[in-house]
Amino acid sequence: MDADANRSLIVTALARIPGGDRAALQTVYRLTSAKLFGVALRILGERSEAEDVLQEVYVTVWRKAADFDASRASPMTWLIAIARNRAIDRLRATRASRHMEPIDAAAEVADSGPIADSALELTQDHVRLHGCLDGLAAHERAALRGAFFDGNTYDDLAARMSVPLGTMKSWIRRAMIKLKSCLEQ
Amino acid sequence: MSDATDHNLPEDELLAAEYALGVLAGPQRAAAQRLLERDRNFAELVAAWEARLAPWAGEIAEVAAPPAVWERIAGALPAPQPQGGGLWQNLAFWRGLSLASGALAAACLGALIYLGSVAPKAPLIAALDGDGKHAFVATIDLRRGAILVVPAAYAVAADRVPELWLIAPGDKPRSLGLIHADKAVALTIPAGLLAQATTQAVLAVSLEPPGGSPTGQPTGPVIASGKLTNL
Repeated sequence: MDADANRSLIVTALARIPGGDRAALQTVYRLTSAKLFGVALRILGERSEAEDVLQEVYVTVWRKAADFDASRASPMTWLIAIARNRAIDRLRATRASRHMEPIDAAAEVADSGPIADSALELTQDHVRLHGCLDGLAAHERAALRGAFFDGNTYDDLAARMSVPLGTMKSWIRRAMIKLKSCLEQ
Repeated sequence: MSDATDHNLPEDELLAAEYALGVLAGPQRAAAQRLLERDRNFAELVAAWEARLAPWAGEIAEVAAPPAVWERIAGALPAPQPQGGGLWQNLAFWRGLSLASGALAAACLGALIYLGSVAPKAPLIAALDGDGKHAFVATIDLRRGAILVVPAAYAVAADRVPELWLIAPGDKPRSLGLIHADKAVALTIPAGLLAQATTQAVLAVSLEPPGGSPTGQPTGPVIASGKLTNL
């Protein structure tokens, strides 16, 4: 019930922002900034850059809150997507990438299970996603992880996993097709 | 879907997947972002992929941001606009509030089933949230039909008074009376409204002229709101 109550607090506060309610933005910030800061920090790896991105994220939320439709999307999904995209934009603008150590797909184990998370109300979705990720080949899962968590590009991933760019593209695309198919079952 | 190794998704859906995952760079990423701005269908494909992938972020640990970040955000916002009754007429506000109540109702359904016939007369409590903190705490004694509202942290301008509203799902706000920013106030809930004081309802505080709202509906800005939960 905590997660649902949390979600309803975020949804209510987001709905107040288009009316110019700063306190509502502060409520959203208080409830979600630790998660979004974690997301930005994971992609960027540097606190000062992640702080800049966090600021951009909430200014974007202030401007675009009217676009959020609670009947169609989860507020955390919407916020996480904004945070990931702002962090990736920053990463692309400032340098090639980080986490460039080689990925050894053979060392990949089954995807770690869902972690209890007060900000994400998606526990059931967690379980489904992890189940479907475990159904992918180890190299596919490793490539998706590098993209999602490290903000890697196709070029980065091809280099890290020592395969041609075209191979990496077909790995990722095939993995995404499998993922969608599995999640829809 | 049959054989997942077929490239059996349309090209725009694959592009949406690549964009949501974040693997695109340079001109490809810029092109996807332009498409996102002007093609509603593509935007929905991207949103669907974001929803599929978002649960993965549950693995990322929360990290408290330094307090200075909020100060910078507040400084970057446009200057506050004077607000009349605008917020209460704001459709998005009401949509959000009713959806929030709906989510809460769903969340509480399990609790109600569990509590069975014991629940209805249990006291209710709500933390009324405003300005990023608890502004008031309200407790309802359903047996006596009384509500006690204790200010936690709120200062009101001298020419305005805070008024308390009960909002049940699908209903308009019902005034429960005026409260104080600096002392606890006990109010009697009208008998006709008592049935609406459930865990599906929301309490809200608006700022009104001295004497309360002249219209019977909130006319000033909402300074705090919160849902009722079982104590």
